[in-house]
Amino acid sequence: MNTEKNKRSYKAQKVIDRMGQKLTRQMVGSLTACVHCGMCTDSCHYVLANPGDPTFAPAYKADKIRKLFKQHYDWTGKVFPKWVKAGSVYTDEELQELKDIVFGKCTNCRRCTVNCPMGVDLATFNRMARGLLCHVGIMPEGVEYVAKEQWEIGNQMGVLKEDYIETVEWQEEELQSEMEDPTAKIPIDKPDSNIVYVINPREIKHDPRSILDAAKIFYAAGEDYTMPSEGWDMTNFGLFNGDDELGGAVAGRVYDKVEELRGKKLVISECGHGYRSTRCEGPNWAKKDITFDAESSVITMLEYIKQGKIKVDKTKNPGSYTFHDSCNNARSCGLTEEPRELLSLVVEDFREMYPNRAENYCCTGGGGAMSMAEYRPSRLKSAKIKADQLAATGTKTVVTSCHNCVDGLTDLIGHYKLGMDVTQLVNLVANALVIDDIVEENKKKYAEKEEVSSGSAQ
Amino acid sequence: MMEKKQIKSSTLSVIKADVTATEIDAFVFYARNDLKLGSGFGNAIALRGGPSIRKELENLGPLKVTEVVVTTAGNMKAKHIIHACGPKFQEENLEQKLKTTIINVLKAAEANGIESIAFPPMGAGFYGVPIDVSAKITIETIAEYLNKGSEIKDVIICANDTREYKALEPKLKDALKKAA
Repeated sequence: MNTEKNKRSYKAQKVIDRMGQKLTRQMVGSLTACVHCGMCTDSCHYVLANPGDPTFAPAYKADKIRKLFKQHYDWTGKVFPKWVKAGSVYTDEELQELKDIVFGKCTNCRRCTVNCPMGVDLATFNRMARGLLCHVGIMPEGVEYVAKEQWEIGNQMGVLKEDYIETVEWQEEELQSEMEDPTAKIPIDKPDSNIVYVINPREIKHDPRSILDAAKIFYAAGEDYTMPSEGWDMTNFGLFNGDDELGGAVAGRVYDKVEELRGKKLVISECGHGYRSTRCEGPNWAKKDITFDAESSVITMLEYIKQGKIKVDKTKNPGSYTFHDSCNNARSCGLTEEPRELLSLVVEDFREMYPNRAENYCCTGGGGAMSMAEYRPSRLKSAKIKADQLAATGTKTVVTSCHNCVDGLTDLIGHYKLGMDVTQLVNLVANALVIDDIVEENKKKYAEKEEVSSGSAQ
Repeated sequence: MMEKKQIKSSTLSVIKADVTATEIDAFVFYARNDLKLGSGFGNAIALRGGPSIRKELENLGPLKVTEVVVTTAGNMKAKHIIHACGPKFQEENLEQKLKTTIINVLKAAEANGIESIAFPPMGAGFYGVPIDVSAKITIETIAEYLNKGSEIKDVIICANDTREYKALEPKLKDALKKAA
């Protein structure tokens, strides 16, 4: 019997079946609400960088997913399929084409969402479509690589436990040297701490100075904190590839470790992707009520200054600075004012970029998009919009609160030869610390101890 | 975290540990059919084991689903690695293929004189076998095999996190009731 199901490939049928399990009320609302008004079109950096190519329009991309919903899960598609443009997928080649749209033509930045009068959240069901494809093994090679690292090693960059510990210990030695204090610690697995500090694996692999900078700030504030030996990766590739099971497993590892250590507060280092997934989405994926507070390190640092726990001197950061809002921080989590307040306290010359906050353009890093080498040319073409925004500020340095954005911005700054530097708030706060008196006191204290011990040895 | 049970002359345990870092005769690596190590545990094997494992693999494979090959483990704590090409991403007859893969691992272990072996929850995680399904098939298949009498003395299943451990641990108790 030549039924509809028989005509469809095994994987295509699995995608259709899985879609039924993944549709939420929010997605169904978005899948049915679009009136094709076109308001989303001008909000998308892909469209702006590719004028005249309608295949980049958010509504067009959404229709590639919407047609499946209409055909298989919406009554309108059953009654008048042609009117509502219902359609299906039949072959693995069609699934590959869908992969290139959902992974390669959208960074899930949600700028179209905030500009949609109907509240259509393309990123939500685009993420679902990514998850449907990953479920049957159809995904870009880079996505496969990173997802497997996080599932099996416990972090996105495949950092082994021994390498993580060694890097933290190395930064502890640097801290002791800079603070002139041989007893200074970056504690690992210290129970009952006020703060459990979790980081992005990029900090271990490419940017250990940010661990040292955070440690200097904690040291100056006299904070009782610890880093965990496991569950330390606050990023979550499940947010990017749409795999809710991965999302739940990764977030659960972080939460379980905080509970095991009886930490009072989880502090998440600067990362838009990590902040959104660990603080906002993770409890839903992990199906877990978290019993502790969770906050971005931006808020922790700002509070230290406001409460007088650390002193900063903005003249230590000369030059001109602008601020790039991470899409996940600003559009998805509303973290827009605290980073600006903090930045204004640690640099002399801060200039806004326009548009900004929830209207800011994506750096094209997309919380994981840089793992897909095959889409780099198209991604960098779309980055022209961000490059123009950066150039218009006339600043020398762009500050961001996201490791993914650091890489995305660095890539586009090199490509468009903007000659700007990229840094994060933790680096600027650490550099602005007024700690000379602490260091001098330590120097004297330990020199005296040395004299006493060498005297008693004689 | 550890749960250990006796089955005939063998033991079957569930622990929370990194399967590639266990001190054991052999551990199981859920392999690709082209035997490339890739990322995840494959990355751990390459980093901890050194280049000799990859070199050995160059002369082996490709494997069909359910087939296994045994290599040495280079500089790792284990002596051998059993590369098992299990089913992936919802493929047809997944449960039966998974069972056959596990049996082939155990047979290969016996053929190579391996007395202790560590498994991950087979196919769970990246390859998309739901953890409950993986836990049930992995534990039941091993328990049935050991219950017939085996030269393998110790089998350990390594959970990567608490979520996996909580899925595996009750299945171990269920399997023992069945075996008894």
